Amino acid sequence: MKDFSKDKKKKGLEVFQGNDDSRLITQVNSCVHCGLCAETCIYFQALHEARFIPARKVDLVSAIYRRYYTLTGKSVPWLTGARDLDENTVNEMIDLMYGACTMCGRCNMHCSIGIDIAHVVQTGRKMLANMGYVPASLQSTVDSAIRTGNNMAIPKDELIETIKWLEEDLRMEVNDDSATIPLDEPGKKILYTLNPREPKFFPLSISAMAKIFYAAGESWTISTRMYDVTNYGYFSGNEEEATIIAQRLFDEMKELGAERLVLAECGHGSRAFRWEAPNYLGTEFPFEVITSVELLAEYIREGRIKTDPEKIKGKVTLHDPCNLVRGGGIIEEQRYILQHTVNDFVEMNPHGIDNLCCGGGGGQLAMGEYNERRMKITGMKAEQIKKTEAKIVCTPCHNCVDQLTQTNASYKLGVKIMTLAEIVADSLE
Amino acid sequence: MHWYQWMALVALGFCVITCLFYFLRLIRLGKPQDLSKPAAKTGPGILFAFTGAMSPARKESALLHLPTYTAGIFYHLGTFLSIFLFFFIISGAYPSGYLALLIMILLSLSSLSGISILIKRLINGNLRSLSNPDDYLSNVLVTLFQAMTLFVMLSASPFLLFKDFSENFQMLYYLIFTILALYVPAGKLRHAVYFFAARYHLGFFYGRRGVWPAGKMKN
Repeated sequence: MKDFSKDKKKKGLEVFQGNDDSRLITQVNSCVHCGLCAETCIYFQALHEARFIPARKVDLVSAIYRRYYTLTGKSVPWLTGARDLDENTVNEMIDLMYGACTMCGRCNMHCSIGIDIAHVVQTGRKMLANMGYVPASLQSTVDSAIRTGNNMAIPKDELIETIKWLEEDLRMEVNDDSATIPLDEPGKKILYTLNPREPKFFPLSISAMAKIFYAAGESWTISTRMYDVTNYGYFSGNEEEATIIAQRLFDEMKELGAERLVLAECGHGSRAFRWEAPNYLGTEFPFEVITSVELLAEYIREGRIKTDPEKIKGKVTLHDPCNLVRGGGIIEEQRYILQHTVNDFVEMNPHGIDNLCCGGGGGQLAMGEYNERRMKITGMKAEQIKKTEAKIVCTPCHNCVDQLTQTNASYKLGVKIMTLAEIVADSLE
Repeated sequence: MHWYQWMALVALGFCVITCLFYFLRLIRLGKPQDLSKPAAKTGPGILFAFTGAMSPARKESALLHLPTYTAGIFYHLGTFLSIFLFFFIISGAYPSGYLALLIMILLSLSSLSGISILIKRLINGNLRSLSNPDDYLSNVLVTLFQAMTLFVMLSASPFLLFKDFSENFQMLYYLIFTILALYVPAGKLRHAVYFFAARYHLGFFYGRRGVWPAGKMKN
């Protein structure tokens, strides 16, 4: 650990001072340690250690609050378990806040009191970020995004080359030489974002979306300056950096003058821009922000694209990304799309707002130091998938795609992982 | 009135004023300032947070721990009932007849629930690891308060066995009430105020995002 100092401690405690509303003060005063949240957490379920109980994570942050901001905590700290913010506490916080929570929010919904536990963990991460204790691996992802405009540091030329190659592919596939993947074109209806994993590892998901846009006759473009839908500043807890990243996308929307910003299949990216960014930037957005999942549902509902469910062979199941369902209220859209694109669909149990996280959220995929733990907790998801007997696992989130791809290999599931756009594109008439 | 009754009233005054301070601080800090475009109205989400979302059908933690959940319900009912009865007891207007019997049965159940919750905290390793002295003290004080309310009710009833101890029960009852009232703002029992705010915030959050009451297509 880097040197802990009084100055760092002061910066850590600052998160309790800027109470913009009553949310945080409510949450750090509410937990009664009933422990009923334990089984709602994939970490506790998979690893069976008391330290992974969500209430323990809440208590770490609350105990610090009690120590410095309550009379009892100041005068008789042992009585309420109030804790000093010191090196030991910081070490425990790093492990639990970053390494043992995907901020999936499942515990929130089942908390006896109603504490937004993910928000408390986010507060813990903010404290650590203020003190300079973001894990180096996660910070490097944020740094890449800030330095290069995308979290994978893909050079602009490389992106353009990939897109041009995909454009040629699209022309052949739709048999139309005028089919394009427009880049940096102003005045279009839609500015479409990408998860940098797409151009880097999964270019076919860009093809899939391009094919759908072509079929729908959509007016759209991709920006080569700022296309990254992700915002790992949201996960690191560094709000200043999250704001810089969000500001770039906001500025690019204004620069290109598009009407709608469509967020690619990325759970946390969708949440970070749709729900958090207006608060980072301190402004309501003068343009519409929707997820690609909502857009695909809209195309099908309005008859702008025609799908044939017969084209997708094999049983399909759906993994709900936590930040889309619990964090963003996108619950029925993906099911509506699958109703129209596949014949044999089976739900996981539990699913929807009660779904289990795949284990890759909260920045876990970016933090290699927790890989072993991450691959253990995903065992629950593997079991869920096995029980469905599905051959295809669809998930509208590239982060989840990555994690499920690893889960598939580690637990020998023998399934195919697909994004929703890929399913829709493959089912187009 | 006896000195211990005055003492209890002063403690109650302190408790109410302090909790009122907590409540007013929450009001002053206000509701969440969210600039994102809402997906739905917050009202139904908040209502759901206080109703459906608390039922075992929607709350996995309750469903998986039905005995604890049930004990918790009785325990809290007993607490509210005991607080309500305090005003009758201090004014000497004791409930009688079948109503008194019903109250005493409920207080017996709630006191037993409190004891069972305490035992669970003591013997369950996971729960013990989460607990601090405040958790035990709060549980003991509230359970004692309920039990003493029951004994005071019994001493005012036709059960002669308890008549002889009436004065002692009264004094002990008010003493425990005093300690409890003074302790409420200091420890976790202040969740009596924050619980409502927590559920409001959760309902606001999920209601605004269209997650609660139930997921619907957004357009």
